[in-house]
Amino acid sequence: MNLFSLFQISGTALNAERLRAEVVTSNLANSETTRTPEGGPYQRHMVVFHSQPASSFHLLLTGSLARSSAAAAGGVEVSQVVADPAPALRRYEPGHPDADKDGYVAYPDINPVQEMVDLMGAQRAYELNASAVQAAKQMIQQSLQILK
Amino acid sequence: MSLLDTPLVVALSHSLDLIAQRQSLVSENIANIDTPGYHTRDIDFRQELERATSLDQDVARPPFVREVPGLIERPDGNNVSIDRESLLMAQNQLQFQTAAQLLHSEFNRLQLAITGGGQ
Repeated sequence: MNLFSLFQISGTALNAERLRAEVVTSNLANSETTRTPEGGPYQRHMVVFHSQPASSFHLLLTGSLARSSAAAAGGVEVSQVVADPAPALRRYEPGHPDADKDGYVAYPDINPVQEMVDLMGAQRAYELNASAVQAAKQMIQQSLQILK
Repeated sequence: MSLLDTPLVVALSHSLDLIAQRQSLVSENIANIDTPGYHTRDIDFRQELERATSLDQDVARPPFVREVPGLIERPDGNNVSIDRESLLMAQNQLQFQTAAQLLHSEFNRLQLAITGGGQ
């Protein structure tokens, strides 16, 4: 059993939650963006979390081959960042340079409340994983105390 | 059995190993708290400790990891409970500290025996 593998597991989660927070803040920042390099208004993005494979068979197999690597897998990863397929909001603003011939401008369909709730979720999950790192640190220090 | 492999040292090292493995599963569960379809995984601590201490030492088999029954599943198919994992994390930390300090004092006792009680 390698105590340092605990850092790896929590580290993958810290990474993933940070990316989630970044995507959410990007959504908030672009809630009024009507022009993008791809053309059209900005589209809301979402992260897709995926647990890194660590089936009990895998654990048994790697465990019998090399005990130290048995717990190396099993974190979380962001498998993809997908765009929300929801249609754009249309607001009547005839003077806007991006208005169509009827005077409507396409705005991204972003709900600030929903994004803030998502941001809070990412923050809390980040905190929880950070305290898991603290716990691992403490356990390593305590095992060093045995030597004294 | 060598001088240093007293039954207490063997039992304590097994339990330290198991607590660390359990903590790794707790970190995994916490890491996957927002992963759709993920199910909480854990080991049966008491059973695994009994097996580890009863078997020969060279039969090192990793503990059996199972999904925890009876947890409420959220709509996305994930059933990780923050409360359960936080409590387990605190419990693991204290158990680890206890075992590490007991091991430390057992080694101190052995040293006392070696040096003849400081005479």
